[in-house]
Amino acid sequence: MYLGLKEMWHEKLRYSLLSGVLLLIALVVFMLAGLANGLSNGNRQAVDQWHATTVYLNKNANQTLSASQLTLADKKHIDGNTVAPLSNLSGTLRTSTNHLKTTASAFGTSRNSFLMPTVISGHKINGKNQLLISATLKDKGYHVGQKVRIGTTKRTVKIVGTYASSTYSIAPTVYTDTSTLNRLKDSPITTGKQQPINAFVTKKSQFKTAHHGNLQRLSIATFIENLPGYSAEQLTLNTMIYFLFVIALAVIGIFMFVLTLQKQALFGVLKVQGIGTSHIIAALLSQSVVMALIGIGLGLAITVGLAQIMPAGLPFVINWQAFGIYSLALLGAAVVGALLSWRTVAKIDPVVAIG
Amino acid sequence: MSTSVLELQHINKEFGHGHTAVTALADANFRVNAGEFVAIIGPSGSGKSTFLTIAAGLQTPTSGKVLLNGQALTQQSEKQRLAYRFNEIGFILQSSNLIPFLTVTEQFKLVDKMARRTFQKSATLKLLDELALSDVKDAYPNELSGGERQRVAIARALYNNPSVILADEPTASLDTPRSIDVVKRLADEAHHHNKAIVMVTHDQRLISNCDVVYRIEDGKMTRTD
Repeated sequence: MYLGLKEMWHEKLRYSLLSGVLLLIALVVFMLAGLANGLSNGNRQAVDQWHATTVYLNKNANQTLSASQLTLADKKHIDGNTVAPLSNLSGTLRTSTNHLKTTASAFGTSRNSFLMPTVISGHKINGKNQLLISATLKDKGYHVGQKVRIGTTKRTVKIVGTYASSTYSIAPTVYTDTSTLNRLKDSPITTGKQQPINAFVTKKSQFKTAHHGNLQRLSIATFIENLPGYSAEQLTLNTMIYFLFVIALAVIGIFMFVLTLQKQALFGVLKVQGIGTSHIIAALLSQSVVMALIGIGLGLAITVGLAQIMPAGLPFVINWQAFGIYSLALLGAAVVGALLSWRTVAKIDPVVAIG
Repeated sequence: MSTSVLELQHINKEFGHGHTAVTALADANFRVNAGEFVAIIGPSGSGKSTFLTIAAGLQTPTSGKVLLNGQALTQQSEKQRLAYRFNEIGFILQSSNLIPFLTVTEQFKLVDKMARRTFQKSATLKLLDELALSDVKDAYPNELSGGERQRVAIARALYNNPSVILADEPTASLDTPRSIDVVKRLADEAHHHNKAIVMVTHDQRLISNCDVVYRIEDGKMTRTD
């Protein structure tokens, strides 16, 4: 420890260079993690806010919400009273007066279902052609009392309330009732049990019957995995992050190995004087851990700083749990990297220091 | 009669096997008492370094016994010999065995860190004063002259209060006046601190300060008092 830290202090430039490289790696890891988390949030935030456990889709829908065609009457296949119908329409939210245009994910469900978000301003849906909008849209200029259109239809709905920020498929959400959404979709049936919907959502995960007719039961986790593009996106970013751990390991391992080779004569002298392999390895370990801690610490600080000045459009969300795990993984890479020189240190023969 | 601190009995050391075997030491006998300054002198390739590595427990002899304070070193494990070198032997090596990134004082601090005890500051300062090094106590080894470096190495070798000090050509990188100064200091330390000091050298001019001289040639050691 003493030996390792004193050497770093004396060779500040050399060791701060490696710390700098680790800082850059840590920075990229944290940026990617923030983006992965932001994109993940953008895709699934609305689903997470449902606090549901199970989704039922048409069994021929390939586990995709938009491809699933059901009717309200299909509810008979599921016993349980906390089942909520869900319809989805992705379209452009626009106003006729001041020409606001935003892509939005519209959800339709029954007026009193648990899927309906809690209103924070305005009022709940209590009649036809009413719409709740996410706080994200409020920031873009939409407000309670405005008349808006969704998609290509000429029919208008009136914004009656707003709720906490929520997104689905990287678009802000809006909620309305099932029949209003069907009207917006220009569906031929907009009342009664034969109305088309896309899915049923429930908080119950245990059901007596195993067969659900034309329905397929998905856990909420499976449903999220199958959101369009979700898995591919997360897998890509996470693979990049995992590969960075390998790069960090290689950088530290090679650096410590080259330094060890350079210091073979010194280590030989230490061994002659009775300072053995374990002390030398402890010195290497303390150096690599200190460099990693500095790199990770600065990387985190810069990431948090950058997050403050990032453009709002960038889907970047800090996830401290993930950052903590990735910091530990980088630290682990530093420890393993230093230990790679163990054999080289152990093999240094003190005899070479004499004669 | 004083007791031997370090004793080598009937040491043989061969490298290689069969007809390519090279004998580095043949039936070598050696002993040094406390308070004695012993020189081992011989040309290069005579087996001086082999002698030193065997005495230090860095190599095991093909046959024969190494006794330190009456205990057989040849029967100890690698780990025990590491501790033995740390506690019982002080080394002064050819160029310098100082650690380049530690100041003079820190070289001593390191010894205490390794021994898991608090830094003995007054003992360090006393040793440095004794060897006229007080002015350079905060300097790094590369800021010292060759003579100063070897004096620090002497102080560092004495610091752990070892039974014996092994000096491997301690004047190799020094000019004559500095060499004589270093050897005189070694002789002083042996006599003042009652230490056994063994110096390996090829320089005839340095042996006038020694109590005992061993000559080594082609692996054979002869003692001249």
